[in-house]
Amino acid sequence: MEYIIKNGIVFDPLNRIDGEKMDICIKDGVIVESVSKDAKEIDASGCVVMPGGIDSHTHIAGPKVNTGRLMRPEDSYRDIYYKKGLKPGTGFSIPSTYKTGYQYCEMGYTTVIEAAMPPLKAKHVHDEFVDTPQIDKGALTLFGNNWIVMKYLKEKEYELCAAYVAWVLRNVKGFAIKIVNPAGTEAWGWGKNVHGLDDPAPYFGITGREIVRGLCKVNEMLGLPHSIHVHPNDLGHPGNWRTTIETMGCVKNMEPKPKYGNRETVYYNTHVQFHSYGGTSWKDFVSKGVEIAEYVNKVDHVMIDVGQITLDETTTMTADGPMEYDLHMSTGNKWANCDVELETGSGVVPFYYSPKGPVYSVQWAIGLEIFLNTDPSKVILATDHPNGGPFTRFPRIIAWLMSKKYRDYWLNEKVHKWARTRSSVGDNDKEYTMYEIAQITRANQAKVLGLSPERGHLGVGAIADIAIYEIAPEEKDPKIIERAFRYTKYTFKRGEIVVKDGNIVKEIFGDTIYVDVKIDETLEKEMMKDLEEVFKKNYTVQIENYKVSDHLANSWKVIQIDSSEIT
Amino acid sequence: MEIILTLKEDITVPVELDALLPEKIDNMDVEEIKNIKIPQGRTTVKVGELFDVEIRESDTPKMTIKNSSIKLKRVGEGMTTGEIVIEGDVGMHVGAEMKGGRIVVNGNADNWAGRGMKGGELVIKGNAGNYVGSAYRGGYWGMSGGTIVIEGNAGHEIGEYMTGGKIHIKGNVGYFAGIHAKGGLIVIDGDVPGRLGAEMIKGAIVVNGKVSEILPSFKYKGIVENPVIKIKKKDEGTKIEGVYHMFAGDYVNNKPKGQLYISVDRNPHLG
Ligand SMILES: [Zn+2]
Repeated sequence: MEYIIKNGIVFDPLNRIDGEKMDICIKDGVIVESVSKDAKEIDASGCVVMPGGIDSHTHIAGPKVNTGRLMRPEDSYRDIYYKKGLKPGTGFSIPSTYKTGYQYCEMGYTTVIEAAMPPLKAKHVHDEFVDTPQIDKGALTLFGNNWIVMKYLKEKEYELCAAYVAWVLRNVKGFAIKIVNPAGTEAWGWGKNVHGLDDPAPYFGITGREIVRGLCKVNEMLGLPHSIHVHPNDLGHPGNWRTTIETMGCVKNMEPKPKYGNRETVYYNTHVQFHSYGGTSWKDFVSKGVEIAEYVNKVDHVMIDVGQITLDETTTMTADGPMEYDLHMSTGNKWANCDVELETGSGVVPFYYSPKGPVYSVQWAIGLEIFLNTDPSKVILATDHPNGGPFTRFPRIIAWLMSKKYRDYWLNEKVHKWARTRSSVGDNDKEYTMYEIAQITRANQAKVLGLSPERGHLGVGAIADIAIYEIAPEEKDPKIIERAFRYTKYTFKRGEIVVKDGNIVKEIFGDTIYVDVKIDETLEKEMMKDLEEVFKKNYTVQIENYKVSDHLANSWKVIQIDSSEIT
Repeated sequence: MEIILTLKEDITVPVELDALLPEKIDNMDVEEIKNIKIPQGRTTVKVGELFDVEIRESDTPKMTIKNSSIKLKRVGEGMTTGEIVIEGDVGMHVGAEMKGGRIVVNGNADNWAGRGMKGGELVIKGNAGNYVGSAYRGGYWGMSGGTIVIEGNAGHEIGEYMTGGKIHIKGNVGYFAGIHAKGGLIVIDGDVPGRLGAEMIKGAIVVNGKVSEILPSFKYKGIVENPVIKIKKKDEGTKIEGVYHMFAGDYVNNKPKGQLYISVDRNPHLG
């Protein structure tokens, strides 16, 4: 099938195209120089054309998402998706799989990354991916509290650790290294937490700093497309901004060496809003968003996503088990928690960020403050769905960023006055341009994930994932902005029209992306000796049952990397 | 205007009637009302297919359902004004989330009567099912205002997550009355099998009948006579006549302010 998208205003930051009227040609699922006369013409006049959106940090599949669904029937009947010809779905903050795929696609998103896959539970994640249509998927794989990783890093056996990480990613079909509250989630297994980068985990005696630095080193030895993806210690604690900057800083001398993609950073700090808190308690709680933004602007090795609070009732879920316990204790809300054997843990708590709540209003303002003060090439739009709010609120966040007036309306009319007095968001006049919106919703993601060779841009050879929004580039009306970004005029997935005028018109099943790293045989054998021992002694499953088998995807997109030089 | 709906014959598949609030249909004519679409099971039917519809003069918006059935669900859900009278039994969610007005059921009601009620009055002359004035499955938004009176018995978990308003049960209740309550007043004239006020944080429960046992996580506070029950700081208080054992709890929570008043006469074994 051939298409030509005519007369749209194109925003493609990776190719430095800023609002140019140009035609985009599609053939056989990719973007091409030109098409034949038979190509179907799509009229995009009066519309903005962008590459398909990418969410680099979201929670859409796997055991903790499913636990959230099970424990929250009230979320399920709050939002029902029922459209003729499509699979019905339910759930506002924790939508069922089909609804997730449809709604991302309605917003012009075409690739999303599940942000926390416990290796042992990978089959569950992939099983739900199979049932999530319209988008390509990948899974960040949890390594920060893994016993084998901690043991190898403690012994400074970086080569063996690299071989182990490669083995896990290959066997569980994972995409990148995720670190959550390093040493803290393991401490939670002992009823404790860590309170900073240099607190050791019980028994292992290894600190968060050693884990972050060690895994960063391993990541660059392997040359993985994405950097380490970090949720630092002290999430949600007043005064945690120092830990955040310390954690970012602890890898500043490392060199990015990706063997695939064009990443220039070695450290990705996710939902940085939750890590930018000043003060010593909720009483003197203030924003340190500007300080965090200034640090990020100053250094070259860091990329952040915001984890914007949308002031909704939602469901929090994270591999940061002790943090969820704190949340349960402070709200009295129901709570689930889980220990994943040798690998990680997690917790789930429903949460209502009331706009009337002083603390929640400041959290909301901190996120915006980070957006408004960080270089738009270093910051990413995400809500840590569903933790800060559901992904279906992205259009509203875009409206807050593009319209100072709309932001002020919320600041003065809707949220608690603390948002004004304890942050600088009211003093900031910045309004995001359409180009910058394209940066923070697709281009930056593609680059930092290492997927920019084929995604997140509209250059020749790229996958034809395209979003066409019915909006003028200079539009300021928040209602129009929100509506336009919520429902595309067209979404193209791999060169096919899957959304037209906001409706799913074709159901397709995307790829699951994973990384397969080749490791030196002798090194791998040495590592396997240790690993087989661990499985025999400590795991409840056999090593043979651990592997994610090939049928657990609609189609695999494998990124092959050769790191056999590590010995 | 008063509208009278008479169920033509017994139905087996449940029907949802939340579209038929007196305030919504106040200015409609008979034909319009007959054409309103309502869900029945997984299909949709018109009001006229199931009911005879009649209109009478009335100063206030009023709706009467004759020959009513337990298969009629969500009657009066979300109503804000006017009156509904039900002749016969009624199904789940009668008066759910109602904000004002009055509903009288001259029969029995199924589960979730007055679920998440915010205001108004719900009177059930017969028995009620489980979850009177409670939150819905998984939720934590119980009754926050208004009054529910059940002349007969009620089932389990009444007043779950209740934050305000009053429930008066003249008969007996099942387990877990007032579970997770965060306010409001429950008065039970009949007997209670146990687990009263489990995990309650605020609010008060008065039992004039027999209570087989009190949860061990409640603290005994002594005997009180004709108590004035205050639930909020600025509350004038509700006067209750009688002599009661008073308990505070539930101490599975931090700093709970829940109050239990249990008749001394009927419960010499407590205290
Ligand atoms: Zn997350």
